[in-house]
Amino acid sequence: MSNPGIIATDITKKFLSACKTLETGEIVKDGYFTLFEAVGALEIGDPKMDSGCLAPGETLEETYDVNRDLEPAEVLGIIDQLICLEMAWHMGYPLSQTILTSVYIEALVEPMPVTLEDADFVRKRTPWDRYNPRDVMKKVLRAYCLGLVRTCSDVLETIRDELYYEEEDFVTNTYRRSLLEHIDRSEIRNEIAAAKLILHQVRERIGIDLAQALTFRLELRSAFLRALELIEDVRGSPESLQIPWCQMHSIWEGMLKLSGLAKEVPEAFSTKLQRKLASSMPPRPIVTLSFAEAAKHFMKLCNDAIDAVKILDYHDSQSLLNFVFHFQAQKPQPCVYIRCLLQNLIFKDMILLDRLSIRQVMDDDLSIVVMPAHEFLDPINDIVEGMYDYRAAISHQMENFRKRSAQSYIDIFRVLCQNRCRVRRMLCHLIQDWEQVQLEAEHVDQVLQHQVDEEPLDYQAHTTLTHGQEPGYHLPLSSWAYLYKLRLMEWIVQLGFELEVYAPDELAGMYWYLSHLAKTRAQHVERIQAFTNHRLNESRSSRKPPPNTPWIRPSQPHHPPEGWPLGITSSVFPPTHAISPTKEPLPAQSTSFCSPTSAAAYHYDTSAEAAYIRSLTYLRSTILDAAITWEFADTVSVIYTLLSRLGLIKPPPRPYGTDKDRYEVRMKPFKSISVPEVPSFETWKAHSTGTSIMPEHSGPSETEEEETSEQLLSFALQAVSQAKKAFTVLEGLSEREAFAAGGGGFSLPSFDPLHATTTTTPTTPTPSTTTHPPPPPQPLPQPEHNQASKHRTKPPKAGGDTNAG
Amino acid sequence: MEGTTEKAAVTETPRVDQLPGELKYIKYEHKLEAEYLPAIRALISKDLSEPYSIYVYRYFLYQWGHLCFMALHPVDSSLIGVIICKLEPHASHSPPTLRGYIAMLAVSSQYRGHGIATELVRRAIDAMAQRDADEIVLETEETNIPAMRLYERLGFVRSKKLHRYYLNGNSAYRLVLLLRSVDDGAATHYPLDDRGIALR
Repeated sequence: MSNPGIIATDITKKFLSACKTLETGEIVKDGYFTLFEAVGALEIGDPKMDSGCLAPGETLEETYDVNRDLEPAEVLGIIDQLICLEMAWHMGYPLSQTILTSVYIEALVEPMPVTLEDADFVRKRTPWDRYNPRDVMKKVLRAYCLGLVRTCSDVLETIRDELYYEEEDFVTNTYRRSLLEHIDRSEIRNEIAAAKLILHQVRERIGIDLAQALTFRLELRSAFLRALELIEDVRGSPESLQIPWCQMHSIWEGMLKLSGLAKEVPEAFSTKLQRKLASSMPPRPIVTLSFAEAAKHFMKLCNDAIDAVKILDYHDSQSLLNFVFHFQAQKPQPCVYIRCLLQNLIFKDMILLDRLSIRQVMDDDLSIVVMPAHEFLDPINDIVEGMYDYRAAISHQMENFRKRSAQSYIDIFRVLCQNRCRVRRMLCHLIQDWEQVQLEAEHVDQVLQHQVDEEPLDYQAHTTLTHGQEPGYHLPLSSWAYLYKLRLMEWIVQLGFELEVYAPDELAGMYWYLSHLAKTRAQHVERIQAFTNHRLNESRSSRKPPPNTPWIRPSQPHHPPEGWPLGITSSVFPPTHAISPTKEPLPAQSTSFCSPTSAAAYHYDTSAEAAYIRSLTYLRSTILDAAITWEFADTVSVIYTLLSRLGLIKPPPRPYGTDKDRYEVRMKPFKSISVPEVPSFETWKAHSTGTSIMPEHSGPSETEEEETSEQLLSFALQAVSQAKKAFTVLEGLSEREAFAAGGGGFSLPSFDPLHATTTTTPTTPTPSTTTHPPPPPQPLPQPEHNQASKHRTKPPKAGGDTNAG
Repeated sequence: MEGTTEKAAVTETPRVDQLPGELKYIKYEHKLEAEYLPAIRALISKDLSEPYSIYVYRYFLYQWGHLCFMALHPVDSSLIGVIICKLEPHASHSPPTLRGYIAMLAVSSQYRGHGIATELVRRAIDAMAQRDADEIVLETEETNIPAMRLYERLGFVRSKKLHRYYLNGNSAYRLVLLLRSVDDGAATHYPLDDRGIALR
């Protein structure tokens, strides 16, 4: 210590004497020393914790010679091992236990090569070496490794830019190793091409099959680089983005046919390399994944990417949501890269799907769900001059509302792209946000209804699920928010089943609660439907020109989705107004897209009529979806009730805590939601045990009456047959009617209602979709259908009316 | 923590059919460190892929030794089972709760199947309840069926699933036992850290 600014004091003696007053094991710590710090501590000299600890006779450095000659079969073996490690990395294991255990990769990237030429297993090549071509096999391995490392760099970047959970989904740590991000992809692809050429030249010598097997692997690498290049830098149509992924998939098929040629080189991989990484973690084993597992994983990666890019083919906001929802619900779920890729495709640079603003998608959604051809959404409002024009006020209010709710809306898509455990946890937060959005939307609704002097409507006369005489206001924005909140609540419960969070004896009650939520949603949608039908009738009889709808033109106008003639007609068909027989049509505004092949050209109908039809179609499919959910949930709930009665499900003894407290834990996510309110424990319990509460017979003092098992069974039978009926209707819907357009029919499990539509013929439009707004679906099960079980058929307590709040 | 896992598989020593008599259950005290800490570490480390440093044990035992219970052999007083816990205000809730946490539980493989772990957990719950714990939580590996059964029989419920929570890539369940209603009437506040990376 020679710095004049520092006065050093020797505290060694003081410190030692202070230590003497402590007993062994006594802890002196401040409040910031948490469990996290305690767990981070390592004991030096313990071989399980100290990665630098050497066994007697062990060398610190890895002694494998990367310059040694390699047989072709050995190169194949090393590459195949690298494929396994790469997939293990994609599955969430760190680089330190996967790719960075390869001595070849280590030699390639450390120290960081400045140029491509530098990046080689042996550095400091003499000028003489430069004229001396690299050994063929090392050239192949080097080209493969360059491609591998560079793709890892791109994958990492894509993941880092999106929402994921560190150490849960993925480990982004590179331990200060370069992943060649500074080296151009095309340079590396040239190296790969050169290696392929050499392989071709020596194929007779090393054997045709081995040469082919190695060539496949080089091609796989090259295609992967190209795939990432297209996504990162080029973009373009879904079809063009798919090409390299399709190639990779076919290459894999070829690779799997040429098996059994590789010779393993286990000594080329070592955990010793972890010692040199910038990390204090203890030594951890190399992750072992079989080649068959890696192949399966890689091919799924390709398939998922091929499906994921289809999302760019946007048709409408609800199809977009359905796409994300069902894509992510696959089992097994797409891996983290694909989930981040999907986010990248949706959100990159805050331009949705590479061409849309958040406002466009939100307005599209508002138009579909609650406000078709609505003056609040008319783009003209934004350009009217004059502060006192009511349209300027509408524009201002709407803009505020969009600003307020955009994040919550976008978050739905983000959240759905997470791992399933996180989806559930994040939805629990998101419903709190939507609760707020709904509250604030109610305020905006009231301001807006005042602006346009809205007349209240006796909507309950038009619905089947709600009863009463209270006229109400449209409240479109809060209705929209409430609908989302209800959907998210249903998803939380459904994910609880999927993730096996509920105990067997809770299932009857939780399925009843799901049914309760779905019924509430259906009631709410009926309310929206009543207003939309009313507005459509008014609009048809009005002489006033209808407001403009902010339509979004399809990204691929030449490939109309199946079931397209819903408001959108092929040019060989007459425009909509000519096939609308009942009423004088609204003036059609249509935009025509003509392709060079005129057979595929079609008109995109942007009339108000088309907007109404689209909206009513959506409401209908939503009610169907809700009906299937509640009928099926009712069925399953009853089955669990009966299993409990028969003693086949027995609650554990549970000497601690009460059932009521456990119910509180169950309902915690919903506790702060005002509508629909959490059912009381007693109500929930009564429904889960099949004990009806019938206030109508008993007046103030309720009598409990257990329903017979026969009654319950017949109720379940009816409910399941209703669910089946509704399901059949939903299944019969076209892509367009089911709001599953744009997915291009990606390969989903066959039971998926929203995508299982391949059997309907697009050229035969059903009358309801081309001429009339669809009526409320006739085969729709009504909750009032069963006498045997009154308590189950009572309209839910919390009404669907957002006015209630 | 990984230490909550009570693995039933791979028993090197065959299980005993009968216990050697009435086990002694005793509360840990600091003065027992020299006698029992090495055995505690050995017992818990057995099922762990990565051992905890001595500081992890001292972190718990020095601050919450009174929530640590040991099951001892009636004859030679050797360690057969141990449970390690902590009890702290959980601030990210509104209102804050006093949250107990079962960090580690282990029973020597040859003595499993005799309810020793259950007895240790009961003692820990009782001790925490006596100190006004509102709730007790823990995590356990999703594949560890015996551990989940043990806790669920006592009254714990699964509150959430944690994706790839353990180093081996396995997921976990968070289990909760509510000892008293934490109904605050107001909005539920989720812990900030629960949001992890902020939504963008």
